[in-house]
Formats: sequence, C-alpha cells, structure tokens
Amino acid sequence: MIRFENVSKTYKNGTPALTNVNLDIEKGEFVFLVGASGSGKTTFLRLLLREELPDQGRILEAGRDIGALPKWRVPYLRRNIGCVFQDFRLLPNKTVFDNVAFALEVIGRPRSTIDSQVPQILELVGLGEKAKNLPGELSGGEQQRVAVARAFVNRPLILLADEPTGNLDPSNSESIMALLERINRTGTTVVMATHDKNMVDRMRRRVVELEKGEIVRDQVRGVYGLDETSAQ
Amino acid sequence: MNVYIRYAFKETFANLWRNRMMTIAAVLTVAVSLSLVGSALLLKQSAAQASAQWQAGTRVTVWMQPKSSGGEIASVQSALALSPIVKSCVFLTKQQNYLEAKKLLPATEFSVLSPADMPSGFQCVPVVPSDAATIESTFRSQPGVYSVTAPDQQIRQMEHAIRIIQIVFLALAAVLLLSASVLILNTIRMAIFARRREVSVMKLVGATNWFIRGPYITEGFIQGLIGSLFAIGAVTALHVWYPLHNEFTLTSSAVWGTDLVVLALGVSIGSIGSAIAIRRFLDV
Repeated sequence: MIRFENVSKTYKNGTPALTNVNLDIEKGEFVFLVGASGSGKTTFLRLLLREELPDQGRILEAGRDIGALPKWRVPYLRRNIGCVFQDFRLLPNKTVFDNVAFALEVIGRPRSTIDSQVPQILELVGLGEKAKNLPGELSGGEQQRVAVARAFVNRPLILLADEPTGNLDPSNSESIMALLERINRTGTTVVMATHDKNMVDRMRRRVVELEKGEIVRDQVRGVYGLDETSAQ
Repeated sequence: MNVYIRYAFKETFANLWRNRMMTIAAVLTVAVSLSLVGSALLLKQSAAQASAQWQAGTRVTVWMQPKSSGGEIASVQSALALSPIVKSCVFLTKQQNYLEAKKLLPATEFSVLSPADMPSGFQCVPVVPSDAATIESTFRSQPGVYSVTAPDQQIRQMEHAIRIIQIVFLALAAVLLLSASVLILNTIRMAIFARRREVSVMKLVGATNWFIRGPYITEGFIQGLIGSLFAIGAVTALHVWYPLHNEFTLTSSAVWGTDLVVLALGVSIGSIGSAIAIRRFLDV
C-alpha cells in the first residue's frame, strides 16, 4: 500500500528531515511511527499527503509514484487518505454533523450520500446523540472522535494519525485507539505517529522508529522503546 | 456538478455579506470609475458624431472681388473644376448674394447696398471635409479672389476641447479602476483569511483547487458585475437627460456598445482582483 524507496528530504534551512528511508507498509497494516520530536515523523506524514516532495527517492501509494502526480491530481490522492491531528482541526462554527458532512460536501458528494453516510459514521464513533452539538460543547475525546469520523467518512484506503492521543487523558486515548483499531479491521491501513509509550506497548503492533531522520528499528510486534524499562 | 455550483454560490454570498462594508466600498468605486469611463466613451462618440455632421455640411466659399473681371472668374472656375480635392461647385451670382444678404442684414444696413457692390462667388464641397483648409490656402491668392472661408477652425477647436475633457475623464477613471481592483483584492483577501480553517480542511480532505477557489472568484466577479450595473445605469441616465445639443445625441445602439464595454471592464476588474488575491493568499 505504501512504499518508501530511498527517500531523503532536507528542508531549505539545511536540516535533514529524512535520510535514505526504505519502508514497505502492506494493505491493512497498523503501524506506529515513534521517535523523539524532530526525528522526522511529521515529515514522513507530510510526504505521504504530498504536502512535501522528497528530494530523492520515490514514494509509492497503491502502486503509484505520488511524486509523478500532476498537481491537479493531488486532491484526488488525498481523498484516499484520511487524516487525524493532535489538535482535532474541527470547524468551531459548524455542528458535529456539519463538520463531518463538510468533508463530503467539498468533494462534491450529493446530499443524499451525505445524509446517509454521516449519521452512520457518527454512530460508529459513538456520537450519534451529539450530531447537533458544536465542537466547543464536546470533550476533547469526543472532538477527536468527530475528527476521526471526518477522516473516515469517505472510506479512505489509508488513515494517517499525527499524535491523535497527544491532547487526551488515558481513558479518552483508549477509546480513540479502540476506534482506530476498528477502522483498521475494515481493511484500512493505519499509520500513527505517537509519543504514547503505554499505548504502543499494549497494542503490540508494528513499530517503526525514526531517529534523526533514519529508520533505526522496524519491529513486527514492537514496543515503544527498547531502552529503559520497556526493554524487559 | 450542481453540488459545486450550489456550494460556490452559497459561500460567495456568505462572504459578501460577512464583508459587506468592504464590498460596498469596492462596488461603489467600481461604479464611479466605470461611470467615468462610460461617460468618456459617450462623449467621444457624440463628439465624433457631431463633428462628422458638421463636416458633412462643410462648404468652402471662394468669394470673388466685386470688381473682378469675367476672365478671372472663368479661370478660378476652371481651376476649381480641375482641382482633385473639390467635389462640386455652385456659382453664386451677385444677384443671388444680394438676395442672401437681404435675408441676413437689417433693413437699415441693407438699404445702402446695391447688387453691383456684392461679390460673386463659388460655394464648393470638398471631397474630404478636412481638405477645406487646403482649398482655402490654394485659392486665397488667385487673381480676382477676395477671400476664402471655411468653417474648419471652429470644429477643430471644439474637438480639441472634447479630447481634453475625455483624457481627464479617462485618467481619473484609470486611477479609480486601479483602486477598485485593489479594494476587491483586499475584500477577497479578508474573505480568504476569515476562511483559512475551512480552506485547510478542504485541502486535507481532497477538495479540488478549483472548488476551493470557486467562491472567491465568483465573489470578485459579482462585485465587478454589480459595480458595472450601477455604472450602466449612470451612463443610461446621461444618455436620456443629455445636457447637450441635438447633434450630440447618440442612437441607442451606440449606448449599448458603451454599456457592453463598461460591463466587460467591471467584470474583468473584479475577476483580476480576485485572481491576484487567490494567487497571493490562497495557497492552492
């Protein structure tokens, strides 16, 4: 589903963000991307969204070299990738329903599709009752669930999550993880950048660790770090 | 497709309403500047029309001296007939000019004249109205010619004055049009800024670039359109209550042409303003 071939990226100020990264992620995999701040996790996700282009190497998604896509095709690429962020990025003046509907509306889906899909996805994330609330009236965990609903409503092939539990308490983090797992079980490839050590250790999924832009570890059933306490 | 159109219109009017003060300023500036452009165009057309009418009636009169001999008259006549820039000439006898003078002069002054005092003359039509001056300079010094008169000079002065007014109008209009497009640009910049969250979400979920740009382009277009409709109203009013002489009054079709120019200018100013705003402030 996702393949990085010798990918390097250096920012204009000369900071190397990724150096010679090679990685294969199969369809339906759940991958944790771990590493200290500045290790290149966010760059990795931005490259997948084609918000950045690599300086060297190729990135393939669903068999296609995304660097070779003409600019006007990029939106269509992004329709296959759902995104969740630490700061939710909901529209504060739209209701929960409208926030999720917005994602379908702006890619030209007809009203009938919106009216059938949005309630369904809100049920899935457990917010059927709160469809008419504004994001400000929800807890952080609920807001993040709206964001997941928005990312998944168009049934993307890939779901990217950048520190989705970073602003949440443990029990809310738990429910977001459960949600991502559920989405993963539908066959969606999930790539999640995180600092949440407990979560990674408990989930026992594939872990890719970046350090200074290089992959230093790729473990099938990994834990957050091999150092310190988690090494046991 | 109609999903896109509905979305663009909904967003456009929401933006226009949100920024209504800026919108009003932009629309009024477009209206005033385009009214000036329209008036300048009307003025140009009606001046051209009036001077064409005057020139079509241009007559050059070659007055002979009252005491000129028959030979002199005959040689001027043949010279006029041979001249390639003279279309036709009518010979006016002393008697005819005497009767003409009787019509023009008060009886007390006329009573001292006799037909013998009157000059005879040739009233000539030039092939091209602007040749009147050449005819004048050619025949003025012919033997037996008293003077040559052509109405050309006044028309020229008139045209000169109209051209200056027109240049002033157009210069003002150019400055105002520039400020109109800057105002439109600024309105759209503000609309984009107010919507930056929406725009970032739209990019994220894969809205096409034209879908994102759509409402802002329509917004500038509509501001230009409304402004030019006001200006068309002003131009039409100017046409209907024309403060000038009949010869200046234009046909409706000439006004239609001006209206079209005003409309096209308004719409393109709006579109250019929004295009620049989109290029600079909407990163898609």
